Amino acid sequence: MKKNVLMKLDRITRTYQMGEVAVKALKETSLDIWEGELLVILGPSGSGKSTLLNIIGGMDSPSSGEMFFGTENLTRAKDQQLTRYRREEVGFVFQLYNLIPDLTAGENVELAAGLVENPLSVSEVLKEVGLESRMDHFPSQLSGGEQQRVAIARAAVKRPRLLLCDEPTGALDQTIGRTVLGLLDRINREQGSTVVIVTHNTPISAMAHRVIRMSSGSIAEIIENKNPLPAERIEW
Amino acid sequence: MSVLTRKLWRTIGSTRGQFLAVAAVIAVGITVYIGMSTAYYNLNRSQAVFYEENNFADYYFQVVRAPQQVTRQVEAVPGVVKATGRIQKDVPILKEDHQRATARLISYPLPMDNEVNRLHVETGRLFEKYPQGGGIEVLVDPQYFDANLLSFNDKISIVAEGKQVFLTVTGTATSPETIITMKDAGTMMPDPNTFGVVMMPHNQADQILGLNGQINQVVITCAPGADEKVVAKQVKDILEPYGNLASYPRKDQLSHAILQVEIDQLRTTARFMPAIFLGIAAAIQFVMLGRMIKAQRLQIGVMKAIGYTSGQIMLHYTGYALAVALVGALLGALFGLGLASVMSSAYAYFFNLPETISGVNLTAISYGIFLSVVISFIAGLSAARGVVNVKPAESMRPEPPRGTGRIFLEKWVWLWQRLDPAWKMSLRTINRKRGRFGVTLLGVVFAVGLLVMSLFMNDAIDYMIKKHFYEEQHYDLLIRFSGPVKGYELDNITRLEGVVKTEPLFEIPVKIYLNGRSEDDLLLGVPPGMTLKKLVGSDEKPVALPEDGVLINERTAKRLGLRPGDRVEVETLLGLGPARWTSLTVAGVNRQLVGSGSYISLDLANRVMQESGVVSGAMLKVDPGKAGRVEQVLSDMTGVSSISSQRKELDNLNKNMGSMVYSISIMIAFAALLGFAIVYNASVISFAERRRELATLRVVGFTNSEVSSLLLKENLLQSLLGVALGLPFGRFLSECYIKGVSTDLYTIPIVIYPQTYLFSALGGVLFIMAAHFLAARGIQRTDLIEVLKNSD
Repeated sequence: MKKNVLMKLDRITRTYQMGEVAVKALKETSLDIWEGELLVILGPSGSGKSTLLNIIGGMDSPSSGEMFFGTENLTRAKDQQLTRYRREEVGFVFQLYNLIPDLTAGENVELAAGLVENPLSVSEVLKEVGLESRMDHFPSQLSGGEQQRVAIARAAVKRPRLLLCDEPTGALDQTIGRTVLGLLDRINREQGSTVVIVTHNTPISAMAHRVIRMSSGSIAEIIENKNPLPAERIEW
Repeated sequence: MSVLTRKLWRTIGSTRGQFLAVAAVIAVGITVYIGMSTAYYNLNRSQAVFYEENNFADYYFQVVRAPQQVTRQVEAVPGVVKATGRIQKDVPILKEDHQRATARLISYPLPMDNEVNRLHVETGRLFEKYPQGGGIEVLVDPQYFDANLLSFNDKISIVAEGKQVFLTVTGTATSPETIITMKDAGTMMPDPNTFGVVMMPHNQADQILGLNGQINQVVITCAPGADEKVVAKQVKDILEPYGNLASYPRKDQLSHAILQVEIDQLRTTARFMPAIFLGIAAAIQFVMLGRMIKAQRLQIGVMKAIGYTSGQIMLHYTGYALAVALVGALLGALFGLGLASVMSSAYAYFFNLPETISGVNLTAISYGIFLSVVISFIAGLSAARGVVNVKPAESMRPEPPRGTGRIFLEKWVWLWQRLDPAWKMSLRTINRKRGRFGVTLLGVVFAVGLLVMSLFMNDAIDYMIKKHFYEEQHYDLLIRFSGPVKGYELDNITRLEGVVKTEPLFEIPVKIYLNGRSEDDLLLGVPPGMTLKKLVGSDEKPVALPEDGVLINERTAKRLGLRPGDRVEVETLLGLGPARWTSLTVAGVNRQLVGSGSYISLDLANRVMQESGVVSGAMLKVDPGKAGRVEQVLSDMTGVSSISSQRKELDNLNKNMGSMVYSISIMIAFAALLGFAIVYNASVISFAERRRELATLRVVGFTNSEVSSLLLKENLLQSLLGVALGLPFGRFLSECYIKGVSTDLYTIPIVIYPQTYLFSALGGVLFIMAAHFLAARGIQRTDLIEVLKNSD
């Protein structure tokens, strides 16, 4: 695989002020994310993996260090620049789906599709995730797995170059979790989106091109996986 | 429709309870605003239109007698549009019950065409110049007609030029100068039993009054833009040879002057009350929209993560606020117009205006809608901004708890250790969620404050009446003589059977001057050692009558900025004889709740008038069983021109307060409504915000009633604090209100009885309890799993 760097993080840190205590959620961390790779960030709770993902997605800003998306410097990006970045380049999938309760499945996808110039077709994407028949259902009428598939459709419809998933299977059982992972795998292969999955669930790392293991706010090791497994064969 | 618009509609649908509650708060504010201002506007218009249609005079000129032709001369004066010559004279009415009454005869040329001060026939028909069956036909003012139980074709008998004359009543009529029928400014209040306006054709009036072909009054209307003073000067010159007794502009015409004062007073109410309601509605709207939007922080975070700009998100939520405002404003406009039409006819009735104009005050409506939209826009924008400015990663996490959760009470170990865990929990929750606590607290404070303000008027009026009629005024009857009489003539009255005590009185209407400014006032000469009337100072402590100098009334003192020791110039305005000028020293200030007047000694009054031993009236203390008999005997005495009894004055005062009491009772209803809406809103929001917390408690094993009592404890604390702050807030509102509505007729004291405080406090607690009950019902209905599963 040709290794074009899509995103470059250079000695990034993130400190939170909790009352009188400053908590270092992320110590000096450097990382290159390659175009088209499927990256799994692994670590127990509190290891800083979600913070890292939020910074990569422009949801949070680093306290120090430098970060680039392609040639664009995002280090001291203003709110406006970050919004544009999220809108055009990033898709998000959350552990608790975070669908808008007042919008139907179709409308939730449409909500994102409306933001970019060349989105995929809403019905096509929902068909891809196997929910074309549930398009007019509200989130409260869908199961957890279905909600998460809508969330993936909502992220994918924008054709993001970067698809970020925070514990996407955290609230799902194994079978449904595998389906969700399979979808992410397919988006990575067929659309060429770079997919970053944050999880504490070690077996998932088997499907990754690269695995980053985090502990107490910094990267402990980076493992390259020469033979990624298809999602359907992962067990936990 | 874009996805966001659809989301907006659905959000409105899913939060309809709160949506309607906030809209209701706005609607109440707008209803009161549009209702009161439109009613005031209509009243004003009714007055203006009535004046216009009936050619209300701009200037009055009183002469001894003048030929009718002089009006043509007056009309030729540049600036005069129309002049009408007529006869106006007060004559005694002989009533069947021997009661004394006065008729003010006013003559009208027929046909009336566009004469000045035209009549408006209300019932019956216009009098005829020469009735077929002979006799004299007249119209009377409706108040006299009603009070004396007259019917058409009844006869009233008057004494004119020493002869008894019968007049046939053909109906009732009003004109701009007889809307409020009072004999003179001294009578203080209309009393239709003893005074009526009788309108008749000029050809009959000049006959019975011995003024053949003559007039004694000229009324004119001036051209717009004409200088009234210049015009009046020229007219006076023309009338000089005919004994020009007095001339005055419209603003000094008694009926108009009193009506204007009352309308002005209503304007204060119509401005002040809505301002309070709108202000409170705005504050509530601000706080509630803010909280509702903050409750959506997770969704806002998601939208930001997807790539929506802060502007788009703010616009979306501002749209919600605008929708609330529009619904509230439209409902308010609708109810406001309904309220306005009810109030307009009520006011027209109170103010004796023949017609109600039920116009739609578009300015008020557009102001109302504009105001609520702008407030909502700002409220929505500022609340959304607060949330939108947070980093999306942060807004997707629940808001971090602030502080350590420990509260100051925990320092008082002795007390803290004795509290049961439920109380501790409630107290800590309040401390942690100060914002939420604050909203409800604000609601209770407003609700209680509004109740105090609305209820206090009753206290104030009650106090005023008790103080004035029972504590300061000890006489039962007050009589006035037709002219000044020698003091010893009072002995005839004192000797009457049933009269316990008589004390003389010398009333002199005056203009008081200080440094170029002037105020009309009434000097009351009373004997030293007076017992039938108590004089009190501003501090409500008794003050003694000074031997020399004047005990000036509080209002005049305030208006002229007088202090004890100041010297003022005094001009007498007694219709008889030339005006006298004197200078008097201000000896002190007296406060009188009803009526006004400045007190001097009887001797000084005589010196002012350059008389000696003269009085103009008397105060009488009468044996309670014989009051009726005494009144009758007095009525038959020719020298007595008016008798006013304390009981009648009291009745009159109550009647006069009618319009104010009416406005106030409407306000009470709205205050209660708004108060409840606020507290209910606050509870609903508070409950919605903690659904998860309460559901968790239920899952842990708390029963419904345990959870409910936990909430109750917090609510109780809120009520107590809210009541404690709301009572003084109510007093503050009352003070603001009173500043605007005191008139020459009465000074409303700021008196709030303990019952009012108690009642308002109970009202506040009741609101909280009712809201709590409704919220508690919500706990039982909650689907625990559903609540805990949903993350927002």
